[in-house]
This record gives sequence, C-alpha cells and structure tokens, in this order.
Amino acid sequence: MVDADWDVTDSRGGDLALRFGGVVRRYGRHLALDHLDLEVRTGEMVALLGPNGAGKSTAIALLLGLLRPHEGTIEVLGTTARQAVAQGSVGAMLQTGSGSGLPPGVKVSEALALVRRLYRQPASFEATVERAGIGPLLGSRTNALSGGEAQRVRFALAIAGDPKLVFLDEPTVAMDVDGRRTFWRMMRQFGEEGRTIVFATHHLEEADQSADRVVVINHGRVVADGPGATLKAAVAARHVRFVAADPDPDRYDRLEGVTDVEVCGAGVTLISLDADATARDLVRSGIPFKDLEVTGACLEDAFVALTGRACRDEPGRPL
Amino acid sequence: MSALSAFARFELVRLLRSWKFLAITVGFPVIFYMLFLGERRSGAIIDGTVPWRVYLMVSMCTFGALVAALNAGGSRLATERATGWARQLRITPMPAWSYVVTKVTASMLVVLPVLVLVELVGFTFGGVRLAVIQWFALTGLLWTTALPFAVLGVFVGFMVNAETAYPVVTALMFVLGYFGGLFNPVNQMPQALQSAAKALPSFHHAFLGLEFLSGQTLGAVNWLVLAGYTGVLGLALLWKYRLEESRGLA
Repeated sequence: MVDADWDVTDSRGGDLALRFGGVVRRYGRHLALDHLDLEVRTGEMVALLGPNGAGKSTAIALLLGLLRPHEGTIEVLGTTARQAVAQGSVGAMLQTGSGSGLPPGVKVSEALALVRRLYRQPASFEATVERAGIGPLLGSRTNALSGGEAQRVRFALAIAGDPKLVFLDEPTVAMDVDGRRTFWRMMRQFGEEGRTIVFATHHLEEADQSADRVVVINHGRVVADGPGATLKAAVAARHVRFVAADPDPDRYDRLEGVTDVEVCGAGVTLISLDADATARDLVRSGIPFKDLEVTGACLEDAFVALTGRACRDEPGRPL
Repeated sequence: MSALSAFARFELVRLLRSWKFLAITVGFPVIFYMLFLGERRSGAIIDGTVPWRVYLMVSMCTFGALVAALNAGGSRLATERATGWARQLRITPMPAWSYVVTKVTASMLVVLPVLVLVELVGFTFGGVRLAVIQWFALTGLLWTTALPFAVLGVFVGFMVNAETAYPVVTALMFVLGYFGGLFNPVNQMPQALQSAAKALPSFHHAFLGLEFLSGQTLGAVNWLVLAGYTGVLGLALLWKYRLEESRGLA
C-alpha cells in the first residue's frame, strides 16, 4: 500500500467524519476506485449517487475495513476503518443480494439482543426498536419477514451499537413507496442527533430529497459534489449545440440560462438550465448560427454545470 | 468475553431449534445403531476383545460426532454466509477470529449430547455395560478427539456455497463413515481399503475409543493423526478465512 501524500494538519481535521485520500481499489484488472478523494464532515448526511458499478459499494466496504485499498489512505473518525469498527463507532447496512442479511431461525428480538451484546456501549433496546420502527416485528422469525421488513430490521441492527457514523448501501431497495418515505423520515431523525450518515443510491430522487449533500460518483471517481436541493434543477440541464462563425466563449457565457460554454472548432455547446430561454436569447442577440440542436445533458454534465466543479482534468489513469 | 459467550449461546440455541439439524444428527447414528445391532457379527478389530454391540456403539458415537460437526459447521455456515449475516457480524466490534472460534465451539457443544445419546442407546438397546467412570472417560475421550471434525465442518462451510453444501457434506459423511470403518470393522475390509481407512480421522477417532474399552494403551499414532488433521485443517481454515477477508467476502 502506498500512502497518498495529503496534509495531516488539515485545519478541519477535527470535524471530519471520514476521508478518502487518493484511494485506488481494483478487482483484478477492473479499476473500481480511481484515486478517489472525498471528505465528509461530522453531522453531514451525504448521498453517494451513481450508476451501478460506479464504485459506491466498494467505497463503503473500504470505509468498514472489509476491503483494503491498493493505494491511498482512508481515515474514519480520526482512525483507521478497522479501528473505528472495533471501537463500535460505526454501523452499516450492506447490500445482501438475494439474502435477508439476517440469521435464520431466530426471532427479530433475539437477533437485536445479540447484536447489542457485541457492543460495549449499545443504544438501549427500546430506543433502537423505536428508531427503526420494528416494534410489531420483534416476535417474528427472521425468515418470515417481507423484503421491506427485513430491511428495517437490518437498519435496527446497523444502529443497535449507537454508532456515530452510519453507512447504508442502497437501503431502500426492497421497500415500497410508503416504506421508503417512512424509512427516510426515521433516517432524518437519526441524523438530527448529530450523527453522520452516508448512503449509496442510484435513485436521483432519493439522493435529492434525503441528503444535505450529494456526491456523484462514476468510474470510481467523484465527478460532482454539491447540495442535494439543487439536483432536481440540475437534471433539467440541456446541451444547446450549434455551429457559429464566431466561436468566442465570452459571447455566449452571458446568454440566459447558460452555466458553461464549450467550444470545439466552429461548434459551440452551451450547457443550459433553461434551453428555451437560451435559444430565445441566442436569436435575440443577433449572433449568426446554424444547425441548432438541443439535447439532454447527462447527469454528470448537469452537475458540473450547476456546481461549477469540473470533472478532474487528467484522463483515467491506466492500471 | 460476555459478547463471545452471548454469541456462542445464540449459535447453540439456533442449532438446537433447527428440526432439520436435530433430525439428521440424532437420527442417523441412532437409527444405524438399531439397524445394525441385530447383526451378530464379530466386532473384533482389536484382538477379539470388543463385542459387536460395543464396536457399533463407539462407531456410531464417531459417526454422530462427524454428522453433527459437518452439519453444524458445513451447510449451516454456507447458508448464513450466503444470506449476508456473516458479513453483518464482521462489521460489529466482535473480533474477526471469534466468528470462526465460536463456530468451532458451537459444533463441539452439539457433539457432546449426540455422544451421550448414542451411549444411552447402547446401554438400553445394545446392553453395553461399563463402570460409571468408564462411561465418563469414554465420553470425554470421544468428545475431545472430535475437534478435527468440528474444524473440518467449519472449513467445509467456508469452502462450499449454499448450493454445493449439501452434496459435499453428505459425501464427506459417508466417505469418512464407510471408509473409516464405522459400519464395517476395518480388519474385515479388503486390504486396499484397510490402508485407506488408516488415513482417515474417523478411523482413528473410533479406534481410540475401542482401544480404551478393550483396556489397551491408547495408540500414539491415533492421537498424532487426529492432532495432525486438526492442525492441517485449522491452517487451511485460517488460509481460507484470510483469503476471503482480503476480498471483503468473509
């Protein structure tokens, strides 16, 4: 393992709940995380948003010490990932594929009682039951639960140790609409107690509605990072393309709705939050153009447009 | 420590509540004992001093220990690894090694009542009569020497997946049982099979019990083979566990 050189004396160090410094993780030849840099501060509720295979689950496995990075450093609650887990300060709900993630052949109450016993300072049994809303399920056998119920029980197990930091990997995957709404309400309450929550999702809506901050991950890198409330607007972003005689970016930058301008030869691409207004303004400006075309921007572009944070400049490094 | 004992108790409760597990572990050795008891064969594998019903009781104790350990470790462990429960435990403060140690311990704990039960059947139906101290000593001997079976069971649980677990466990049960001379005394087998038997832990486990009951000194070779199996399987288990750990699977 090669330690990335990052500044240990970061002034915000004390507030950091976790930090990735140039983390690389491969699976064979596949690069799952490509020099990932990310910091999450204490008390934040952060969504890791990205398509399947973007590296979200790998990032969470690394934060839990289930995997080790091939390069770079990971700091969790001021220590290593493994140490943070051993201290009982971290809880998590992982993806379990087709399995329930629960021990077969016991009652929900027994599974919860056991997991509490594994922590030195667990949350009270009643508080955990209340927070996860599993009161009615306590007497059920774990193998008799529906998918959504099992998810709630797994959430209870994730928070049974009274963790400061919680990771949730696609936590609402088996839930219906009502279940999701209830789940996120409980989650918000839990987060309001000063805890840090990081969850992975590929649902834009979920990230937008539930997180304070959305980190878009793709191909193992952070491609965008910003507040969740602006996400909805971000997906409305469009590419306005045309061919112009005068490809001077400054002329287009002030057109209505435009957040970014790319010029390639005579071709101009405007990234706009309001394509109609941009087109109108373009006509009004009297700039000659032809071959006007409006297309949907991808999420990544939309995010760049909105947050002003460009994708990292260097191309993907080879393995 | 209280965390570990809580986990061990939890595991034991789960085992004893499982009807499938109980039916197989208790059913097999007891039913086989009753079935084969009627055969008035010589069980004389040591100087003709051990009657058939005693040979059969010791053999079925070994078989029972084997079945209990392979089922407690093997198939159940594979299943719970597939459900994601094993991974959930990995992200609690419970140290990683204690998952494996607890599994082996739980297997050992369920082996004990199986031994007692087979001995009880030997006493009531087989008419086996021993001094009280001998019953205790035999149970203690067969129990402690069942450790390689417990380690084998957990190792198998790490090697197989939920689909392959049952065939693999069943095959091991009968290979170790039959070729280990548990259904048929080894010296009544063809020569080739006799040497094969002597390479298996099941043979040496039962043989220690028979030696003890026939009043002979317990063979160092038998102890060594069992200790060797425990060591090799323990190392293999450690290797497999480390490997899965580094891949984030364990």
